[in-house]
Amino acid sequence: MEAKSEITGRVLEVAAKPGQTLAEDDPIVVLESMKMEIAVTAPRAGTLREIRVAVDDLVEEGQVVALLDPA
Amino acid sequence: MTADARPRPPSLAVTAEEFEARRAHVHAMGGEAKLAARREAGILNARERIDRLCDPGSWIEIGEFAWSAREEDRGRTPAEGIVTGFGKVEGRDVAVASFDLTVLGASSSATNIRKLDFLKTRASAAGIPCAFLIESAGARMPDIQGATGMGRIGLLSSMSRDRDTPWVSAVLGPCYGMGTWYAVMSDFAVMRKDATFSVSSPKVTSVAMSQEVTPEELGGADLHAETTGQVDLVTDTDEEAIDALRRFLAYLPSNAAEAPPSAPAAPGGAPEAVEALIPPERHKIYDGRKLVELLADEGSVMPFRPRFGRTLETALARIEGRTVGVIASNPMRKGGAIDGPSCRKMTEFTVLCDSFNVPIVLLADTPGFLVGLQAEREGVAGEIMNNIRALTLATVPKLAVVVRKSYGQAYLNLGGGIADALAVMTTGEVGFVDPAVAVSVVHNRRRGDGEDFDTLMQDMVVSNSPWELAGMFAAHSVIRPGETRAWLSRMLEVMRRRPKGEVGAHRLATWPTSL
Repeated sequence: MEAKSEITGRVLEVAAKPGQTLAEDDPIVVLESMKMEIAVTAPRAGTLREIRVAVDDLVEEGQVVALLDPA
Repeated sequence: MTADARPRPPSLAVTAEEFEARRAHVHAMGGEAKLAARREAGILNARERIDRLCDPGSWIEIGEFAWSAREEDRGRTPAEGIVTGFGKVEGRDVAVASFDLTVLGASSSATNIRKLDFLKTRASAAGIPCAFLIESAGARMPDIQGATGMGRIGLLSSMSRDRDTPWVSAVLGPCYGMGTWYAVMSDFAVMRKDATFSVSSPKVTSVAMSQEVTPEELGGADLHAETTGQVDLVTDTDEEAIDALRRFLAYLPSNAAEAPPSAPAAPGGAPEAVEALIPPERHKIYDGRKLVELLADEGSVMPFRPRFGRTLETALARIEGRTVGVIASNPMRKGGAIDGPSCRKMTEFTVLCDSFNVPIVLLADTPGFLVGLQAEREGVAGEIMNNIRALTLATVPKLAVVVRKSYGQAYLNLGGGIADALAVMTTGEVGFVDPAVAVSVVHNRRRGDGEDFDTLMQDMVVSNSPWELAGMFAAHSVIRPGETRAWLSRMLEVMRRRPKGEVGAHRLATWPTSL
């Protein structure tokens, strides 16, 4: 399961770790976009497998930022 | 020979045995093997679905003994594949059509189209909602093939409506053709997660366009919930889908000429919880859905199309027992910027509320409309104007609250100057754009350009304040976040359309269900 960014922005913070169990809508990374802090969240409950971005990376709309294994 | 002794002609009177045998044949639907397979799969049959939807003992069937117009199919078309009649939902009458996939795939035919036409016209005359429980293989080819078949369909029944009564539908299996039309024409459409609906089946697509696709790719639940927006809720089971129809109908009047029913009032969230939820810093986000939950009566929020256009949350809810339609920014999604799907969803929801006399509550916390290349190519300009026209033309009470920021055109589309009453929270700010952007555009200064920028920025922030909006009487009230529920509740009471019996002018009733 892919977590995609809904918006273009810069990574401000990585908010979860691989192996972590997440509920739907739990934040994975926080982006700065449109002068706001906007989280990319878990689309469904699951376990975080991989995070593909780091702090200060530029993220495009629709870009996959993390992979999860569905619960 | 006396009269009594003459031989009597054979009686045409139906015996009790024949009546029962015919009824048993109809109620056996497409046969035990098909029904057993459904039970095995945990899927209700057409008649069980009606039992789930309607109050016990309220069902009266119409067209029970209808059969195919083709003589050779009479014996294998019990109820002609679509069970129709009237039942009650929470004590109020509803017209119901339940498509029976076990009977020739519930395919559309001359007789069952007339059954549906009967149901729709009688429901309109009686002022009661229509509920469609749908699965269908589409058109029944032998019946409508050729000029005679197609010509007959054109003469039968119109696929139009003007929202005089609510329509709800549940898609509960594979669905093509006519079944799909009813789903997309409804005010509320729910589907089971493994159901599908599309105009044509993969078979037709394969033959006509050499395109090999699965039913899910053409019309699965994820596609409709997230991409097309043609489904308002997805459920795991038949039972949950049908229960959602019951719940949705409970918010609405039976027809457009009545006010929505009220329910017993329930407490809302604590004012402190509202204060705690909304961060005063403009760059921080929060879950707009939680704000809606806190402002509404506990347990009364029913999200409408929650997986589509998520930067605006739309939901039916109650405040002090009164039905309201809530349109709320969700800063958690794209910072609350209104994109094309959110805009279309809000327009359709506004039409729904206005058609059935449901007051509208708008909660704004948005940096504006999401513009840029993609949005412009998709025609966002037209969508924004449809949206503001809908809100302006709606004659139901409209209450707007500026929660934090509300910038530019989005301020207007979320009720600025349009709502019957507008409150701005003490956390609110209204302007053309974000203050930093305004400084950059007006003064050609950017952050980091020194003290100059900071002073100019401070001036811009002050000019966006609630006091400016209230001072010129564009905002009618300034409220603390914790006072919002009380303000809404009182204003809903005040703004009732008493001279018209709380019934609006319905100038949007002919707007489409899918924009």
